[in-house]
Parts: sequence; structure tokens; C-alpha cells
Amino acid sequence: MATVTFSPPFRFSPISSFPSKFRTRTRFIIPPLSSLTPRAALSDPFVLEIAQTLEDSVSTPSPSSLPPPPLQKLRDTSSESILSMSWPTRKDEPFRFIDTSFIKQSRIHPIPIPSPSSDLAGISSDTQFPSLVIVDGHIVPSASQLSGFPDGVYVGSISGISSEAIMEKVLQLVSDFHDGDLFWSLNGIGAPDVTVIFVPAGCQVEKPLHLRFYSREGGEIGSNYMPLSSPRVLVLVEKGGEIGIIEEYSGGDADKCYWANSVIQLALEEEAKIHHSYIQAQTASAAHIKWTFVRQESSSNYELVEISAGGKLSRHNLHVQQVGPDTITELSAFHLSVSDQTQDLHSRLVLDHPRGYSRQLHKSIVAHSSGQAVFDGNIKVNRYAQQTDAGQLTKNLLLEPRATVNVKPNLQIIADDVKCSHGAAISDLEEDQIFYFQARGIDLETTRKALVFAFGSEVVERLPYNSLKKKVQSHVKALLETTSGGAP
Amino acid sequence: MSLLHLPPPSPSRLTSLRNSFSVITLNSLRVSSQRCRFNQSRLTLTPTASLTVDSHSPTTSSGRGSTEEGDSPKVLLEVRDLTAVIAESKAQILKGVNLVIREGEIHAIMGKNGSGKSTFSKVLVGHPDYEVTGGSAIFKGENLLDMDPEERSLFGLFMSFQSPIEIPGVSNMDFLNMAYNARMRKLGRKELGPIEFYEVISRKLDVVNMKIDFLNRNVNEGFSGGERKRNEILQLAVLGADLSVLDEIDSGLDVDALQDVAKAVNGLLTPKNSVLMITHYQRLLDYIRPNYIHIMDDGRIVKTGDISIAKVLEKEGYKAISSA
Ligand SMILES: Nc1ncnc2c1ncn2[C@@H]1O[C@H](COP(=O)(O)OP(=O)(O)O)[C@@H](O)[C@H]1O
Ligand SMILES: [Mg+2]
Repeated sequence: MATVTFSPPFRFSPISSFPSKFRTRTRFIIPPLSSLTPRAALSDPFVLEIAQTLEDSVSTPSPSSLPPPPLQKLRDTSSESILSMSWPTRKDEPFRFIDTSFIKQSRIHPIPIPSPSSDLAGISSDTQFPSLVIVDGHIVPSASQLSGFPDGVYVGSISGISSEAIMEKVLQLVSDFHDGDLFWSLNGIGAPDVTVIFVPAGCQVEKPLHLRFYSREGGEIGSNYMPLSSPRVLVLVEKGGEIGIIEEYSGGDADKCYWANSVIQLALEEEAKIHHSYIQAQTASAAHIKWTFVRQESSSNYELVEISAGGKLSRHNLHVQQVGPDTITELSAFHLSVSDQTQDLHSRLVLDHPRGYSRQLHKSIVAHSSGQAVFDGNIKVNRYAQQTDAGQLTKNLLLEPRATVNVKPNLQIIADDVKCSHGAAISDLEEDQIFYFQARGIDLETTRKALVFAFGSEVVERLPYNSLKKKVQSHVKALLETTSGGAP
Repeated sequence: MSLLHLPPPSPSRLTSLRNSFSVITLNSLRVSSQRCRFNQSRLTLTPTASLTVDSHSPTTSSGRGSTEEGDSPKVLLEVRDLTAVIAESKAQILKGVNLVIREGEIHAIMGKNGSGKSTFSKVLVGHPDYEVTGGSAIFKGENLLDMDPEERSLFGLFMSFQSPIEIPGVSNMDFLNMAYNARMRKLGRKELGPIEFYEVISRKLDVVNMKIDFLNRNVNEGFSGGERKRNEILQLAVLGADLSVLDEIDSGLDVDALQDVAKAVNGLLTPKNSVLMITHYQRLLDYIRPNYIHIMDDGRIVKTGDISIAKVLEKEGYKAISSA
């Protein structure tokens, strides 16, 4: 077995060497300086052009149907922030390993709301959970099935909120994140709606909510035409509330090209609990960029299980901010690259309060010679986050010559009384395990298939619903079948 | 894989643990099915194999013994002057092992820790940690050393591991199903889907006194020592074997578990198949009575006798034996 182990250089550096992320900001007066474009003082014409196109796509024809205040605020702050941003290049650290130029070279076309008569037959309804269908960024009520939620739970468009109290909370949260990048802001400008999920205090929602994002519009490959959707979701769980969210992305025609630029925000009040399953099964030519921003108050519990296997380019930015003590955060991700594709997870967990507990597991399989997996996992344990217990591990399996993985697990610790561990491994299958199969008469090809599949199972098994687990398992199996199966 | 456990940094100092991005590109990180092994020139013996298979045990046994009205039973395994080294370090472990096992016989190998018993059994099944450097091993008339590990298994040689490893992510049921189907394929018989296989396997569970939920768990993951041993015997019961090499099947077992395992092994014995037990302890020999006991010392079998050797051993230790 070949294992490459990372022993990170332990570098001690003074506080002042930190980038300027810690300074306070005055909201909306000075546009926040994006961390990705320290050099950009001037606006990027290309970015402005997309922003303009997006703005046009959501502008309402009549002043009588003004968007609800939070949506207006989101659009305003996003437009403001974009002025200082430029399209990322490989020179920008967070985008070193991904190539976004094929998006830039396309004609980007925000997808308008589908006409009510349009055919939604392609959207399968194989879910046993209450579901909300979002096609190209627009809620499709006729395809959704939302009955069975307890009283007080709200699931739907921001425009449908009748409670002022909820609207007020949404207003507070909707643009309450300042470490976003260009794609965060572009979503804020172009989101035609915000899907709001509200769970009132003490309410434990038994069945998970299945958010089914579906990309239907697509451009012919090589046509230079790139439809863009900007779905946005805000989940708010009040004190002691509990819900499971399944966030699933899929697309229609396998050979169509599209770009989904999605954002989900999750706010957990005290003792709230969210189990979040994120399944990214976009089609092979898609660009999929997504932000997940989580805000955890004291004693809340957030668990995320991610399975990303689709898209030509898939980038997940995950930011978890602790805003109270005693939080529990469990993050697992399984990335699979079986073709010329990139799976990228950039995660950041910021612990600012005592006794946080966090675990992060990232696993990837790259089964194609020009496939790639990227993991940049930052855990920051700040001064007041004493007695934090944080662990991080990334394990990667390369099945083809020239398959690539770029991993950067990293811990920044300022508090002194903490328990932290991290590690990284790049390996092939374990020789001892292979021998165990062979010793029972099982041939090498069958063995490798079983072990490669088992590698991802560690994460897939964490999905909390059997039906979902089965579906994902067979999807992963089918994708692995399309490769040489790691056969010798 | 490594886990770095970070010592708590001293107060009020910033510890920045940051490893630079590491790019790893796979070039030759592949597992080859075979390491270079000592290749025995092929023997001219060809097996007169007519497959006779009973419907319960899928052993790939050849119709041995049927053609000869025998005085003594047929030789099943013949090991001559077998030497082997550790593949990585080239340290010699086996220094000329000689052993003959006939059909229906039970043999036991005893010996001090580190004398090479496990190495010998792993070399027999073709473990890639070892390289054979000399000698021969003929099993059912064929050169064992020419075969891949999976061929050896399919040919009727089974070894239960002294320390069976965990296979996270692979259920016991799936693993047994794969192994069973490999055997069926070899025999040209119908492979079974999970539901049909469930029928087969649920009957075998009684043999090792295991509950059905044992099958849903991942192979050996979180199993106790005793459960791992039972699992090995379950595999043997499902797959069958002409020769089973049981490496310390008794260690780590309480008396109940030992009885279960011994009963299972005895239940699998027929006049045709044979068992080679490796053990430290007399007590296993009370449950499974060997015809022969061999004492291994420093990579060789230094003494062979009947059960009386074990008695001497128990009284006087290995010193008395090896110096005898
Ligand atoms: N894979 C291996 N790598 C290094 N040393 C080994 C390996 N296998 C066996 N050895 C060494 O070979 C000797 C014999 O070991 P083993 O066959 O396990 O003995 P026994 O089973 O009789 O206790 C011991 O010194 C052991 O440390
Ligand atoms: Mg041993």
C-alpha cells in the first residue's frame, strides 16, 4: 500500500500575520473588501455585466409587486458588495485548483420562471418525504408535496410569509454574512426568490423536508450558451426546534450545459438541531457552485452529510459560525470524480465560544486520470473557545494514474485549552484487505470494486434515512461501474 | 494515515497549523495481485480431477481416493524443505519445513511464539508479505506455489486468520455472498442473489451459534475476538475446504466459545478432508483430537509424534522437546 502522510509544518506565527479578516466592519457603508480580490480596487467589467443581467432578470415589471423587504435588502447589499469583486482566477488562493474560465467564456443567461404549462414530467417523484420542488431556481408548487408539517412550521416562498415576526427574523438573517465571495453575492443579486423554512421554538419536525433542486434548462455543449439558476434557501430553527433537511440537486439532459449557483443559509437558535443531507448529482457538464452558511447558537447541533458526485465543476463553500458555547458540529463529505471533473470543498468552521465539539471527515475517490478532488478545510479556534474538541480527517483514494487530489486540512488555534487533531491520507486500497478477499477465493476485480465502494460507504452510511441511503448507494455504484472499476 | 494530536499550545500564543497544499498524483500506487514469488518449476503431476460435489458443501474437491483401493489414504498436502523470507526485509523465517498431510487426518502444529507457525500458514495460502525461496508445496497433486491466493482458495485450501482484519463498509453478508459466488462460478454452478443466498447462510449460522444480525454488520468491524473466530469458521462452513488451516482458532475464546468453535470444526470433518490446527494450548486438543502433533521451532518442524507429545509439552515445556 502506498500512503502519503502529511505532517504539516507547525508554524508559530504572531497574531499580526493574520489577514485582515478580523477587523470590524461597518456594514453597507464601506463595501466589504473581498478576501479573494485584495488587488481589485476597480470593478471587473465581466462581473458587472453578469450582475447587470441578473438584476434585469429579477426586476419587477410593475412597481405594485415590490419584493418583500428582506429580498430587497439582499439584492441591495449584494449589488453593493460586487463592485469591488472580480472574476476569480487561479492566482486567487481559494480558486487555485479550479478552472472557472469555461463559465466566463459562456453567454450567461439567467433562467426565467417556467411557464405554468411547461412539462415537469422529467422530475421524478420518488421521495417518501414532504418535498419542495425548485426548478431552475423557482419553486414549483404543483410538483411539491408539503402536507403533514406541524402547526407553525412554514415552508415556502418568502413572499408567502404572513407573520411579521418571522419576516423580521428573516430580514435580520438574510444578509448577515460577510465572508462570502463573488458567487455568494451573485446569488444574492440573481435569486428570484428566497425559500424560507421556519421551525418555531420547541417544534420537532418528525419527517425531513426534501428540497429537490432540478436543473431543466441547458445549453448544447459547445454552443457557448450557459443558463444560470440562482436558488436561495434560508432555514431558521428556533430554540429547541428540530428538522431534517435533504438538499438534492439533479439535472435533466445528460449532455446539456448549465450553471447552478446556489446558496443555503441555516440559522440554529439555542438547542436547535438540524440534520442536513446534501446530495449533489448534477449532470456531467454542469457547473455547480454552492454556499452553505450555518450560524449556530449555544447548545445547538448541526450535522451535515454531503455526497457530491455530479457536475464538471463542483464547488462547495461551507462556513459554520459558532455564536454561542456548547455547540456540536459534525461534517462529513464524500466526493466522487469518475470523469474529467473537479469536486471541491472549501470549508471553514469558526469557533469563538467555549466547549464546542466538532468532527469533520472528508473522503474522496478520484477514478479518472483528469479527475480532481480539492479539500481546503479550515478550523479556527479563537481565544475564547476554551475546551474546544475539534477533529478533522481527510482520506483520499486515487484509482488512476495522474488522478489528482489537493488537500489542505488546517487548524488555527488561539485558545490554549483545546483538544484538536487532524490528519490526511492519500492511499490506494489496503493490501491486507485485498488479501482477505483473495484468501476467500474472490477475484481481484470484484475485490477492488467492493473495497472502492466501501471507502465511500463510511460517509454514505451516515445518511439518516434508509430510502435515501439506498438511492445514493446505487447511484454511487452505477457511477463507479462506468469507470474501469479500478480494475488492474 | 496519520492523526496528529496537537499538544495544547502555551497560553496567549497563536499556533498556526497550516500545511501547504500537497498535490499527490497517482503514478504507481496500485496493488499488484502478485508479488514476485519463488516459482517452482511445474510438476508433471496432473490431477485426475473429476468433480464430485455434494449438494451442501461447495468444496471444489477432486475425486481423490475413489480410484485407489487404498491401504493408506491419499496424500493431500506435501511440503518439502520449504523456505521463506519476509518480502520487505528478506529476513528468513521458514528454514526448511517438511510436512505431509493425508486425507481425513487432523494435524496440530505447536511451538513457541515467533517460531514461524503463522508465517507457515500464510505462506501456504500465498500471503504477499512473504516470498518463498526454496522447497515445494504440493496440494492435491498440484503445485500450490504456482497459484494465486484466490486459486488456492478455490482449489480447496482454507486458512482461518489468527487476527482477521476489519473490512469497514463491506457487510458480512455481502462478503460471504461474494466468496460463495466465486466458488459457484468455479464449479460452473449457479451464483446466488442476496435473497437466495440468505437462505443458504441462515442455515449455516447455527453451526457457529451466531445470531442473524451478525450478517448485517461489516466484516469483523467492532467484533470481539471470539466473534472474529466464529466468523472465520462461518466462512469455512459456507465455503467448505479439503484442507483447513486453523491458526490459533482457540486463542481469546472462553470455554463456551471454544466448545462452539470446536463443535463446528468437528461437524465439518469428513473422512476426506483434513485439518491443520495451530495452537499454543493443550485444551483445544481435548476438543479436536489430532492424529499427529508437530513441534515448530525457529522455522522448522523439529519433532513429530502423537498426542503424547502434547502431554510432555505440558509437563516439561518446549525445552524438553526441542532438545530431545
Ligand atoms: N509480516 C511480517 N513482518 C515482519 N516480521 C514478521 C512478519 N511476519 C512474521 N514476522 C516475524 O517472523 C517471526 C515468526 O512470526 P510468526 O510466524 O507470526 O510466529 P508464530 O505464529 O509462531 O508466533 C516473528 O519473529 C515475527 O516477528
Ligand atoms: Mg501466530
